[in-house]
Amino acid sequence: MSDTLERARAEFLSEAEEVIETLGRDLLLFDESMRGGVVDPDVVNDIFRGVHTLKGLSSLFGATKLARLSHDLETMLDALRLGKLEVDRETIDHLYRAVEVYQQLLIAEKEGRDDASTALEDLLASLRGGKRAETRHPELEQFDIDPSIFAVLTEYEEHRLRVNVQGGVPIFRLRLSFQLATIDESLDQLKSAAKPHGEIITYLPTGAGADADSIELDILLASKSSHAGLQALFGPMGAQVTEIARRAPETDHPRDAAQKTRHPPPLLPGVPDDSVHISSVPPAHDDGGFGRVDGRHSIVPDARGERGERGERGMTSVRSVTQTVRVDIQKLDLLMNIVGELGIVRSALDRLTDRIREVTRDRSLIGDLVRLNRSFDRQLEAIQQGILEVRMVPLGQVFERLSRVARQIGRDLDKQFNLIITGSETEVDKLIVEELSDPLMHMMRNAIDHGIESLAQRAASGKPPVATIALNAFQKGSHVVIEIEDDGGGIDTEQLIAIALKRSLISPEDVRSTSRKEILGLIFLPGMTTKAVVSEHSGRGVGMDVVKTNISKLGGVIDVQSDVGIGTKFTITLPITLAIIRALIVEVQDRTFAIPLANVREAVALQAGQTFRVDEQEVMTLRGSTLRVCRLATFFEIESPSIEQAKKQFVVVTTAGNTRIGLVVDRLVGGQDVVIKALGPSLRGVRGFAGAAELGDQRLGLVLDTPAIVEELSTEGRAKPAPQRRTVG
Amino acid sequence: MANLIRSQRGRRSLAQSRGQGAVVEYLAFRLGRDTYAVPVTSVHEIVKPPLLTPVPRAPSFVLGIISGRGRVVTVVDARRKLRLEEQPATPRSRVLIADAVQERIGLWVDEVLMVYRFGDAEIERSLLGPSGEMGDYITGIARPQDDASLVVILLDVKALLT
Repeated sequence: MSDTLERARAEFLSEAEEVIETLGRDLLLFDESMRGGVVDPDVVNDIFRGVHTLKGLSSLFGATKLARLSHDLETMLDALRLGKLEVDRETIDHLYRAVEVYQQLLIAEKEGRDDASTALEDLLASLRGGKRAETRHPELEQFDIDPSIFAVLTEYEEHRLRVNVQGGVPIFRLRLSFQLATIDESLDQLKSAAKPHGEIITYLPTGAGADADSIELDILLASKSSHAGLQALFGPMGAQVTEIARRAPETDHPRDAAQKTRHPPPLLPGVPDDSVHISSVPPAHDDGGFGRVDGRHSIVPDARGERGERGERGMTSVRSVTQTVRVDIQKLDLLMNIVGELGIVRSALDRLTDRIREVTRDRSLIGDLVRLNRSFDRQLEAIQQGILEVRMVPLGQVFERLSRVARQIGRDLDKQFNLIITGSETEVDKLIVEELSDPLMHMMRNAIDHGIESLAQRAASGKPPVATIALNAFQKGSHVVIEIEDDGGGIDTEQLIAIALKRSLISPEDVRSTSRKEILGLIFLPGMTTKAVVSEHSGRGVGMDVVKTNISKLGGVIDVQSDVGIGTKFTITLPITLAIIRALIVEVQDRTFAIPLANVREAVALQAGQTFRVDEQEVMTLRGSTLRVCRLATFFEIESPSIEQAKKQFVVVTTAGNTRIGLVVDRLVGGQDVVIKALGPSLRGVRGFAGAAELGDQRLGLVLDTPAIVEELSTEGRAKPAPQRRTVG
Repeated sequence: MANLIRSQRGRRSLAQSRGQGAVVEYLAFRLGRDTYAVPVTSVHEIVKPPLLTPVPRAPSFVLGIISGRGRVVTVVDARRKLRLEEQPATPRSRVLIADAVQERIGLWVDEVLMVYRFGDAEIERSLLGPSGEMGDYITGIARPQDDASLVVILLDVKALLT
């Protein structure tokens, strides 16, 4: 019993979390549209609905604080959408704070403790102090609308009608009849078709209908499009479009008698009249492109397509909820492990096939076995792919949180900037999104606090007063690239060197031989901060090193580019998925290693005597450029005198960030998909390995952490003279 | 509830009356020439030595890693920790899969012997001085009643990893 309750509570918490996240997203849209001067009523409605849902959920589960906040917010939002409350910066600030308080309360709720902070009370107090808008009543009655319509408009509909009339938007009436059996679908289509052209104020049944299976609706549409344009758009759906004349002298415009006798309750979106659903009669006729779902996309212009979908949410929400399943990520991990084990079974089958081939001449038997194996292989790959896809979530999840925090920090530090986000839809593994949150947050703080100069400084260097921070994400092959770029002051390398020298992170000799890129890389060392004053937001010197460590743990790399006076750009490159990787299997002496193919550029044969030394480092020439090489046997100190060195070796060219290094191995075995498993905590201190993977011969193979090896080699090359290496060749 | 407590008390007093204190089962095994033991409850599995993958740069007492039920298990050589003579693997060599602090580890042993039951009173703990490094891994010494000449050294699995 308590188990069920516990599960229901967990469900509530995760749903509430989702709603709050959506709330944050809608709020950003709202903020954006308000800055653009036009408030999209649908966004306000979405926010209202979100808060309403939360109110219901939290009261149900006795989360009184959440419920109280929702209740008060709901009141405010209702006033807002009815135009009774003026939308100003303060209102939006309240809403942003509300999202933060929601999150606090939710965390407290999750941990089962009472949130003692006063944030809620403060917010509730300020929510009540909102400015009331003056209620203006333009003479709507002078408009050529049947006065009896006002009698049935809801307060909200009337408000929207007023807003549009005030804005000089012409009002049209669309009259068309719907088949009861398909009315939901047809209305959806009509709504998304209408969305780019204007706003639907209301749907009113006229009371007239061709037969019992259809219903005729009058739809009031506020639109700036021409009459002809609308007729062309809705005509094919069977609509009759009439523009309602403005300032008509007489109100007793001839109207259908039928309209005056229409049913009193208006047919509202999302609250369909019962009669609509009764009919189980198949559609009397299937009018081309009208009852079809795919027809919709051709009607909606691409640019507004997404918004159109959002607008419909109220209508389709019931359906979408039942089609979504929330899954614990651990269950997916478990499935992934099983797939990994199956992969091992598969390789064992392969070997078995080989053995059978040796003992029998029965071709058809072997043929069948090979075919079966191949089919097994394909299905296994499909399962693997399927699970990986299920784990993928858009980066937008973390970007939204990020932009909220950025806004808060900007306000606290009095820095003005525009945050431009692109590529929120880029998908990566859920785990990566989770782990990215903190590093990105930290970098965002740095960009605002350290990157962006004060207004005076910006003016002095002739930059626009409002700074720009760009957050971009895009896919690049099997990787996702995330960039955080600001047009601030850039990183002062002189200062960086001075601090590094003071803290003995580098020696004076190093300075001369260090490239600009390497100097910038110093910011990733522990204890580096260029900010003289430690603020609440950044500058404690614990930062970029942690960021770098976290990103490396995900198999990613971080690079920095910066120009003084122009700005700074951090580039994070991450694998799209964790767990399963394609690896190049190599042998060094008698050991087998896996090198993630994502880090491999190419593999070339290495003849004895092909390498030479430059400044204690072994290098080779590869297609005209110099490549530093690293003998893995030496690097890992696994040279065994009893094993003769292979005459012909191979160089696997790996990349990490912008650095290339050639790893010398004895044999290339081939490519293979491997499931990486973490090494135990007792081996955490061992650098150079990303984990271990089953290679199919019942023995684990170590997976190289190439970025770490490359980094180790490059730091070793700078900080201390390379240890004496064995003679080459 | 109350009954349960009473019955437990009753059992303990019975054991105490035999002068043993709380009785714990220990799995004894051979490392080099000596007999060691760990509590049976800390051992999950006894496996024949699988193919080990040595880990370069790992501490010297780490023999390598193996796959244990989908997880990577670090196999530790207690002989190196305890500075014992190392014998080559024999058909009797085994790996005990046991719980350490944060992970499951494999403990390489030369031979698994038997299970002993030792009462608290049978275990000598006073011998352990601050002298040797070994003191850290050893929780006590016990002598089985049926073979007084045998000394069983009780190991702390958790401490072996550090």
